[in-house]
Amino acid sequence: MTTFFFFILVLLTVLIGAYLYRVLQGPTIFDRVLGLNGISTKAIILLVVIGVYFERVDMFIDISTGYALLNLVGALAVAKYLEQKGLP
Amino acid sequence: MEILSIIFIVTGLFFLIVAAIGVIRLPDVFSRSHAVSLTDSLGAFLMLVGIALHEGFGKNMLKIMVVLALLYILNPVIAHATIRAALRSGLKPWKKENS
Amino acid sequence: MFLKAMALFLFWILLSASFEWIHLLLGLVFSFVVAWLNSGHSPFVPKFRLWLRIILYIPWLFYKIIESSIHMSRLILDPALPINPQLITVESKLRHHAAVVLFGNSITLTPGTITAEVYRNTLIVHAMDKDLSKDIESKQMESRIAEIFKDEKPDL
Repeated sequence: MTTFFFFILVLLTVLIGAYLYRVLQGPTIFDRVLGLNGISTKAIILLVVIGVYFERVDMFIDISTGYALLNLVGALAVAKYLEQKGLP
Repeated sequence: MEILSIIFIVTGLFFLIVAAIGVIRLPDVFSRSHAVSLTDSLGAFLMLVGIALHEGFGKNMLKIMVVLALLYILNPVIAHATIRAALRSGLKPWKKENS
Repeated sequence: MFLKAMALFLFWILLSASFEWIHLLLGLVFSFVVAWLNSGHSPFVPKFRLWLRIILYIPWLFYKIIESSIHMSRLILDPALPINPQLITVESKLRHHAAVVLFGNSITLTPGTITAEVYRNTLIVHAMDKDLSKDIESKQMESRIAEIFKDEKPDL
């Protein structure tokens, strides 16, 4: 079972690489914001899987809750700012 | 229980991989946001339910359910805000050429 | 306000999971302070019967999510990429703020359709395919939500 979770960790990190390509390469700025949102969802799942792997789930779930709330605030702030400013 | 949790996690992983392929392949912001919402709704749900089944009933399962509910409430808000900003700043959606 | 403070206190107990009296006292004080700070605006507090109906609505939403996820995965994995994105305007007959919010969130949560703009009860929806946009225009989801909110006072 531990090997299985280690495999999931590696695969999730590779998937984050795909989103990172979109963040670096995106034609418009909204692509980058969307890629960051996808990365943060992956990071929440990744934190829970890390908690299972090290058998400290109760601590890592608190961190992932905080991460989800911070992601909401950051993404909303960027979206509001771009909505008022228009396409650069 | 272990077999059930492995099935859930592998199915969720399949949807996450499909969404990553979609984020690279699709042509513009609006259609890419559909791929991101695919991971948010079904992929994260299946992965987290599989991990909760592996943990067994108790305090940890309840906490994972709280994270899941939080994801389900927050993610549509973020996707809607990004798409509305893209539409209001004058970005045209991609169309098929022959239509 | 008391109910809000109690909900926050329950959340505190869930997150901290320690039952020493200093932690419980601190949580009680902080939940009352946050409830007092937030007591100025309370847009819409659902009644108990409404909560029951919303909880009964969630399994149907899950069924729609799974159905359209499989459709969406088939579109992405097809080598020819047979997508046909379009913007459609949906004018709903919902007459309540919370109903429109629930409708827009449900549309965004199902993969393949996303709400782009809301003005009163008119929604602009970006759909990925003909089938998915037909699914929105068939008013199935909307009539379910209208069923939930049927005995609320209209305010829109």
